[in-house]
Amino acid sequence: MKILFFLWISVFNYIFYDLYLSIVSFLLVLTLATLARIHRFVLTILGVIVLPIIALGVLVIGGPFGFPHNETPLLAFDLFGFKVGLFLEGTVYVSTWTARLAVTITSALIAYLTTHPSDLAAIMLKSRIPYKFAYAFLATIQLIPILTNEISTIYQAQVSRGLNVKAKLIQRFKSIIVLIIPLTLGAINQTQIRAIALESRGFSAPVKKVMLRDPRLKTIDYLSLLLMAAGTIFFIYLIMTRGLVPFIQGVRYIQPGG
Amino acid sequence: MSAETGKIEPAAVVKPSGFVILQIVLIPVIAALNYVTGVIINILKLPLFMDTWATMFGTVVAGLWVGAAGGFLYNIVMAFTVWGLPAWVWGFINIYIAIITWVFWRIGWVTVKKPVKLLVAGILVGVTNVAPVTAISWLVFGLLPTYAGTAPIYAAILATTNSMLWASVGSSIIAEIPDKLISLILAAVVASRMPARFTLGGRPS
Repeated sequence: MKILFFLWISVFNYIFYDLYLSIVSFLLVLTLATLARIHRFVLTILGVIVLPIIALGVLVIGGPFGFPHNETPLLAFDLFGFKVGLFLEGTVYVSTWTARLAVTITSALIAYLTTHPSDLAAIMLKSRIPYKFAYAFLATIQLIPILTNEISTIYQAQVSRGLNVKAKLIQRFKSIIVLIIPLTLGAINQTQIRAIALESRGFSAPVKKVMLRDPRLKTIDYLSLLLMAAGTIFFIYLIMTRGLVPFIQGVRYIQPGG
Repeated sequence: MSAETGKIEPAAVVKPSGFVILQIVLIPVIAALNYVTGVIINILKLPLFMDTWATMFGTVVAGLWVGAAGGFLYNIVMAFTVWGLPAWVWGFINIYIAIITWVFWRIGWVTVKKPVKLLVAGILVGVTNVAPVTAISWLVFGLLPTYAGTAPIYAAILATTNSMLWASVGSSIIAEIPDKLISLILAAVVASRMPARFTLGGRPS
């Protein structure tokens, strides 16, 4: 259900070109993240990914030369005959795109961080996703922290052998080799062991796969489904009556690609 | 171990029974390597992405579909976790990278034994990659600058041309060519250090 919610809210955020709608959606998913007690992690991720994009975007696109439709001064002033500062059109354009991004990231993190990996595997198999793809997806999620820990160990070992991460640019490029080769060889070496382990558990056996966990829909899931259905009807009504920009009016930015 | 001679046989895996399993197990490794490279780049404070080198590497050591699947999966996982849903479309770039790497590898250009050809291949991968990157940037991200490293170039081209499209193309050229060139060199270097038993994709003719 959480995955369905993530897809649902992301799709509607990308259908509409409305900053207000994206902000409301973002507040909704942030509230859900707070209820799930993952808001700190979510905000950290957003700080790393979304904040630089909005900061860069507003400075570049919101500036006087940034966006072809920039005409309404927001925080602009005259300097030697030139208009300097931020303009409404570019700023709203950037804010809309980054708000959409924030909504999808937050809803994805809610779905991912609050779902048990075994449940995720069971859901994927129930959704008729090939089990080989399900394995690859889940194995990647499990491998990322393992390899991240491994690179930390390799890094410390190489630093103790004299690796200088504050060297000149060319030297730092060369340093990639001494970090990546041991990491890759270690990871590749483990694939053989993993392949044997999988095969011994009948991974490629021509039989129907069964899971230990069997996630089923609960009352809250049905309620969520009902709310999403109601939301879908409301959104369709909005599109039919007010178009793809139902709330924010008078800003020329509603064109993909500017 | 050979029963007849008592010598240790070379462990080259040509087409073992678990060949497909090995390829499937390699896919998440490639995806995870793409991710961890981002961590390394962060540690070394390098001005590149380098998140396609493992796709190239996977294509060279295990074949086209393993590299493409690993690269695509990397983008899927990132889209479902930290990048946000629309980012899954970057997966097509990884598929493109796998295809073009495979082509260059088949004609024998992706090898440290031929550094000039490797260099040319890397530049060509970067140059041709600008078109799909710009297309995705236009369709999905509204041609916004999403990378701090090229934002000043983006702003400068935008100020000159007043076109977000040209700004995006220009900043892509600046970012893509060195990134893909170094990624391909790295993939070739690491592949050259791989034991033969893990080279599932065979050798170029």
